[in-house]
Amino acid sequence: MTLGPFFPREFAAGANDLARGVQGEAIEITGRVVQADGRALDNLVLEIWQADAQGRFDNHAFHGWGRAATDSDGVYVFRTIKPGAAEGRAPHINFLLLYSGLMRQLHTVMYFEDARDPVLDAVITGRERLVAKKEGPNRYRFDIRLRGEGETPFFDDG
Amino acid sequence: MVYGVNDMAYLVPPRDARTQSTGVVAGYAQTASRWPAQPLARRPHGPAELTGPRPDALLKTTGGDLAGQGARRAIGQLIDVRVSIVDEGGVPVSGALVEIWHCNAAGKYIHPNDSNDAPADPNFYGAARLAADEHGRIALRTIKPAAYPVPDTDGWWRPPHIHFSVWGRVWLSRLVTQMFFPGEPLNQRDPILNAVADAAARSGCIARFVPQAGDALVYEHQLVVRGRNATPGMP
Repeated sequence: MTLGPFFPREFAAGANDLARGVQGEAIEITGRVVQADGRALDNLVLEIWQADAQGRFDNHAFHGWGRAATDSDGVYVFRTIKPGAAEGRAPHINFLLLYSGLMRQLHTVMYFEDARDPVLDAVITGRERLVAKKEGPNRYRFDIRLRGEGETPFFDDG
Repeated sequence: MVYGVNDMAYLVPPRDARTQSTGVVAGYAQTASRWPAQPLARRPHGPAELTGPRPDALLKTTGGDLAGQGARRAIGQLIDVRVSIVDEGGVPVSGALVEIWHCNAAGKYIHPNDSNDAPADPNFYGAARLAADEHGRIALRTIKPAAYPVPDTDGWWRPPHIHFSVWGRVWLSRLVTQMFFPGEPLNQRDPILNAVADAAARSGCIARFVPQAGDALVYEHQLVVRGRNATPGMP
């Protein structure tokens, strides 16, 4: 019971809308985060980092960063724009997870469709779990299971 | 602060596993429900990983005094915590954004999820967000947090600690960790601190007391955001 339960609520509040005043296709990404026994995790912090609609990471008019916390049902929401394809990469959004019981932050990546991509290709099992489900014209679902059957692939960056 | 394309892709010596927290920790039951069972994948690094956000453009900073003044002063031992933030090469991360939070002198967090039966302090609000100066340093005045019991455990008390969340120059240098205090008996058996196998790396998580005149105890600490000497992450 360390970071997750006591991470100040206001640190995560108001930072989950990246789309405001930004050019691009506005989308909503939502998902549920669960642990090994399927229990939803409350107040887990997710941070994202993504390219702009042209696949650029150096656009000062688009911060590309956001933070959200899960509610008591384990659900998070981001509003953002669909990133473009950066050189050599399929469109994707980097995710980072922080929570009590996670001794180290967990890195994962969300894709919009399965495609050749050097990071997605580095996943040995479960690459399909990194592809978000399209639920509507501008709505994607990216559920995350930390551990157990159907576990989300995570990355180690040395 | 320089971010984005000005940061050329670069290689960093990987962390030594012994200097980092293990994923599943004996005595910390939640880790076994949450740390992935599958091995983590190694990925190539490019601009998506080796650039990073500028959260200072989005997130407002606060003052660096959590202790308060006069009749509004928080209960507890005044402390000054001087933290320097450096990158994998030991270079100060000027302007680094740092978030800080800790419990009060009775071991209570201001948080709806804290069920600990300890009193809140009306004059203590335990969260701050600061930008480091050009030398990568921040100065925090606060009160020393207390130890507190961890619910649903067999007598585990967290030693006094302060949480830090730091943005380095790139996405991969994000660091969230805890700072401990020297000479605390509970440090010896805290499952979180002792999830780091290497003794020197554990020592690096404990602040240095600096004898100095004045009404506050002074502590110095260094946070290394990435690389072989990276400060271990902690939840």
